[in-house]
Amino acid sequence: MRNECNVLVMGDIGEPLEVWFKREILSHEEMLMRFLARVWRNRDELTDIRQEAYARVYEASQKARPQAPKAFLFATARHLMADRVRRERIVSIRAGGDSDFLNVLVDEVTPERRASAGEELARLAHAFDRLTDKCREVVWLRRVKDLSQREVAEHLGLSEKTVEKHLRTGARLLAHYTRTNALIARGARRATDDLDEINENEQTDDEKDDDETGT
Amino acid sequence: MSTESTQAIEEAASAWLIRRDSGGWRPPDEARLQEWLKASSFHRVAFWRLEQAWEEAERLKALGAGVEGHQPPPRGQWNLTPFFDSPDQKVRLEDDTAVDVQTDTSSEAPDEKDRVASIGRDVAAAGLVPIRKARLKTHRPRRILVFASAASVLLAVAAGLYVWFNPSGDRYATPVGGLASVPLRDGSNITLNTATEVHVALTGKERDVELAHGEAFFEVAKDAKRPFVVNAGKKRVIAVGTQFSVLRDGDDIRVIVSEGTVRIEDRVARSGAGPQPPALPLTAASSPDAVLLSAGSVAHAGDAGVLVQKETPSETQEQLSWRTGVLMFRDQTLGEAAAEFNRYNERQIVIQDPTIASLKIEGNFRATNVDAFVRLLESGFPVRATESDSQILLTSN
Repeated sequence: MRNECNVLVMGDIGEPLEVWFKREILSHEEMLMRFLARVWRNRDELTDIRQEAYARVYEASQKARPQAPKAFLFATARHLMADRVRRERIVSIRAGGDSDFLNVLVDEVTPERRASAGEELARLAHAFDRLTDKCREVVWLRRVKDLSQREVAEHLGLSEKTVEKHLRTGARLLAHYTRTNALIARGARRATDDLDEINENEQTDDEKDDDETGT
Repeated sequence: MSTESTQAIEEAASAWLIRRDSGGWRPPDEARLQEWLKASSFHRVAFWRLEQAWEEAERLKALGAGVEGHQPPPRGQWNLTPFFDSPDQKVRLEDDTAVDVQTDTSSEAPDEKDRVASIGRDVAAAGLVPIRKARLKTHRPRRILVFASAASVLLAVAAGLYVWFNPSGDRYATPVGGLASVPLRDGSNITLNTATEVHVALTGKERDVELAHGEAFFEVAKDAKRPFVVNAGKKRVIAVGTQFSVLRDGDDIRVIVSEGTVRIEDRVARSGAGPQPPALPLTAASSPDAVLLSAGSVAHAGDAGVLVQKETPSETQEQLSWRTGVLMFRDQTLGEAAAEFNRYNERQIVIQDPTIASLKIEGNFRATNVDAFVRLLESGFPVRATESDSQILLTSN
């Protein structure tokens, strides 16, 4: 059989940057977060580093799209972490090597693996199940049943504003939950604390909503 | 660095996203959104990220198809089986991954679609290039996938994986130097090493894999009712939910168990007199030739019998390091290392001098980077390399 490795050509020329970015960069979030969680001790900074890496990759890609997007994303994240260490003179790298993250090869994090369509759907369902009752209901009506925001509000006896707030939270939490399953499974719960908190606040708000409905 | 907090940006992005879809969105609103996006790369990536997730959430429709009324189904009670028939099974094939289809069959087989979808994603993820462009479009809503059930379909991709779909089972193969991960419908996963071919047949009773040649690592989803059977040469390896690898060299096999338990036993010869008996449960007493292997076991099995060694978890992980494309050598001879490299590269290392072959080496190397390995040898050992297109001859210096 032929050996035609190391060929890497993706996407049509002229494909919008947005489409390319979502597919080639954002799709690696779970792996990126796992990598960051492994080498960066301060959990509070994981999402900051992630978003900064995205922003830098986006800026670079405006000029020229990297040939190996995933490797470029991880290299960018590594540089950002190195910068932080230098700038803040902190040692927040996990035990086992002072600059472990500088040496980890992308491929060593885990072999390339894509979830099957079925698995992705199962993951989505699982993420959806983690939303609070009200948020779940609102997202369902809007996204699955295709009701308008106003119809959702009428159906549930909520104000449109409240519906909008649930949708915003829903979008953020789904983005988060669908991309961090493995992290949670590995017990690295802290990385998700801030968003879980939003979810909990949402719960409190639900009670308020119920009041709203009552009055 | 941005001066706004990540959280504040995400909040703002979610507000834009939801407002845009709320109805009553006018050109001035759009202009303001564009302004906000342009103000900072952090805004833009945060918005795209949420937008992507929100678009994906629409796929919940696939799960809501049979749900009556306006209530979402109770938590955890999803019917995930008929997902392949969903109207919104958006697959990567649609946007950019052209796939080579070498047959012109055209009957409807909805469950092929799921498999094609997952392979398409694999292909897209690995950045592979289709050999010939024949765009496979799947339209929504409710498209019918024109796919084969009568004849087999070959999906060929340049670097990583060759795939044939066939009603009696699917074939996956990697070229020399290839490495590919194949998710199966039952939730199991097979990682194919260099020059490897497997045939997969999932039925209601058994999950049957034939390792035609090469080496593969199996992560088996637990299903006590359907044993996972890997046939290799004259042996078969049976598991329920566990992780192990099988290397086949003719009729000799090597099995490494990294998790759980597997049973290795003789395969009943297929003399054309009917199928072999179904695999018994793991715990069942079976033929005297069967050997149970627990995690950390390395078994060499051939005509002479089965030899089992116990290894520490880190040793077994080293032996399985090929899954990340890395070869690890600990106290091995150059001859052994060269043989290992030769599995991954067309260009073969040839050592005729036994004194060189018995040199001890240690280290981690990219399996496909034979050049780096040879350069290192030359600098560290009294070895000279003479290279041609097809081989690298090592002689003493």
